[in-house]
Amino acid sequence: MGHFNGRVSEIRLAASGQTELSVACPPASVPAPGQYLLAIDPQDSAAVLGTPLFLINPSSQGFWAAPLHPVQWAPGTNLDLVGPLGHGFELPGNLRRLGLVALGETVSRLLPLLAQAAQARAGMTLFTDLALPSLPSALEIHPLNILPEALDWPDYLVFDLPLQRLEGLRQVLGLGDGAILPCPAQVLITTPMPCAGLARCGACAVPGHRGWKLACEDGPVFDLRSLSW
Amino acid sequence: MAKLDLTLDPPIMNAAGALGFFPDLHGPLDWSHFGAFVTNPLSLAPRTPARGKRFVTYPGGFLLHSGYPNPGLSQALRRFARQWSRSPLPVVVHLLVRSPDEVAQMARRLEGLEGVGGVEIGLTSDASPELVAGCVQACGGELPVIARLPFERAIELAPRAIQAGAMAVSLAPPRGICPAEAGGPVQGRLYGPAILPIALRLVQELVKLGLPTIGSGGIYTHEHYNAMLSIGALAVQVDSVLWKWSGYRVLERA
Repeated sequence: MGHFNGRVSEIRLAASGQTELSVACPPASVPAPGQYLLAIDPQDSAAVLGTPLFLINPSSQGFWAAPLHPVQWAPGTNLDLVGPLGHGFELPGNLRRLGLVALGETVSRLLPLLAQAAQARAGMTLFTDLALPSLPSALEIHPLNILPEALDWPDYLVFDLPLQRLEGLRQVLGLGDGAILPCPAQVLITTPMPCAGLARCGACAVPGHRGWKLACEDGPVFDLRSLSW
Repeated sequence: MAKLDLTLDPPIMNAAGALGFFPDLHGPLDWSHFGAFVTNPLSLAPRTPARGKRFVTYPGGFLLHSGYPNPGLSQALRRFARQWSRSPLPVVVHLLVRSPDEVAQMARRLEGLEGVGGVEIGLTSDASPELVAGCVQACGGELPVIARLPFERAIELAPRAIQAGAMAVSLAPPRGICPAEAGGPVQGRLYGPAILPIALRLVQELVKLGLPTIGSGGIYTHEHYNAMLSIGALAVQVDSVLWKWSGYRVLERA
C-alpha cells in the first residue's frame, strides 16, 4: 500500500450507461481484481471522502476503473491515489470451470478474472441480467434465473454482490436453509467504505460466522463460507 | 485527587471514531501533527454494528449510523493496551457511558495504564445535567476528563460538566435524518464541511460562556482549523477529513 499520483486520462460510456475511467498511474498502484484504490482530487476542496476504484482491466498507462466516480472528474483531472487496499480475488490453481455471478450494478469488477481463467484454460460462464459490454466469445452468458439449475457446473464461483443482497443470496441460488454450495466461492461485497480501513467505523460491516467483518479491511472479497448468509 | 496535565501540543487530535482504537505506527499518518489520539468509543459490554442502512451522502457531507461497534472494555484492554503503551502521543480513551457507576467501573481500569493520558466520556443525547455532572465526577482518579456532549444540548450541559471537574468539553457530531432510496429515512450523525458554520457558532457561544471547549465539526482545511482556534477553541478535533487519507496534510503547520 502506498501513496501515488495519478490522472484521469480517458472516460468512456459503458454498455450499462455508466461511465468508466482510464487512470494513468504507476504500475505498483494498479489494484488486483477485487482490491480497490482510494482516489481523491486534491484540487477539489469540496470532496468529502475519497472514491474507491476497482479494476476492469490494466491499460498501457495504468488501468480502466469500474463505475462509479464523481461526475466532475474529467480527462486531465489529477488524482491522489492510496492503495491498493483490501483483499482481492484469489482463483485456485487447479481451476477448470469458473462461474461468475454479477448481482450488482455492473459486471465490470468481475471482468479481470476472465483473463486469469483464460490463462488457466478454464471454462467460463457469466450469470447476470445486466447490460453487457463486448466480451470474449469463449464466455458463456446466462440469465440469473438459470443459476439454480447450473450450480453443478462450476468448480469455483465468484460473485459481485451489494451488501444488501447478501441476505437474499440463497433465494437467487435456489438453495434451501442449511443447504451448502456445491463448490467453493468468493464474493466481492460492494458497500460504502467511508473510512477505507482507517477507523474501523463499522459502516461496511458484513455478517460473518464468527462475528462481524469489515469490507474495507477484511474484504471487500470474502470467502463466502466465512459469511453468514 | 489532583488530575494529571493533558497538554495538547499541537492543539489538534482526531475525534472519537475517526482513527480506530489505537494509533497505527505503521500507517500513513505523521503523529507529530497531533497532540493526542482519541480512541473509538468503547462501551462496558461489546456492541455490534447497527442494522440496516448505515451511510447516506448529501451535498457537503454524509450521515453515518454505525452503532459504535466495539469489543467492550475488557476485550479492548486485552487487545489494545499494549499499543497504547507504545503511543508517541497521549491516548485519550473514549468511553460510551450511561451512568456514573459505569463510568467509575471503566475509568478505574484505565488509571495507571501506560500511554493513557485522559478519558473522554461520551454522553447520550438525552443525558440530564445531573447525569453529566455525576459521570464527570465518577472519573475520580488522576486522569483528566473531557466531556463529549450532544451537539444540540452542549450549551445546556457544558456548565455542569466543567463545574463537575471536566478539563474541557468536546462536541459529538450533530444528529440528523436523511432520506434513503430504499428502506425509509436513516437517522445518524452528520459529518463533512457543510456542518462547519453551525459548529463554529456553537463553539463561539460556549467560549463566550467562559467554558474550555475543544472545537469540532466539518473541519476540512487549514483555514477551518485556524477559524476554530481564532474563536477561542482550546483545541480542535478532526474526523472525516482524515478518511481522505491525504486529508490530514491540510492541517500541517505552515
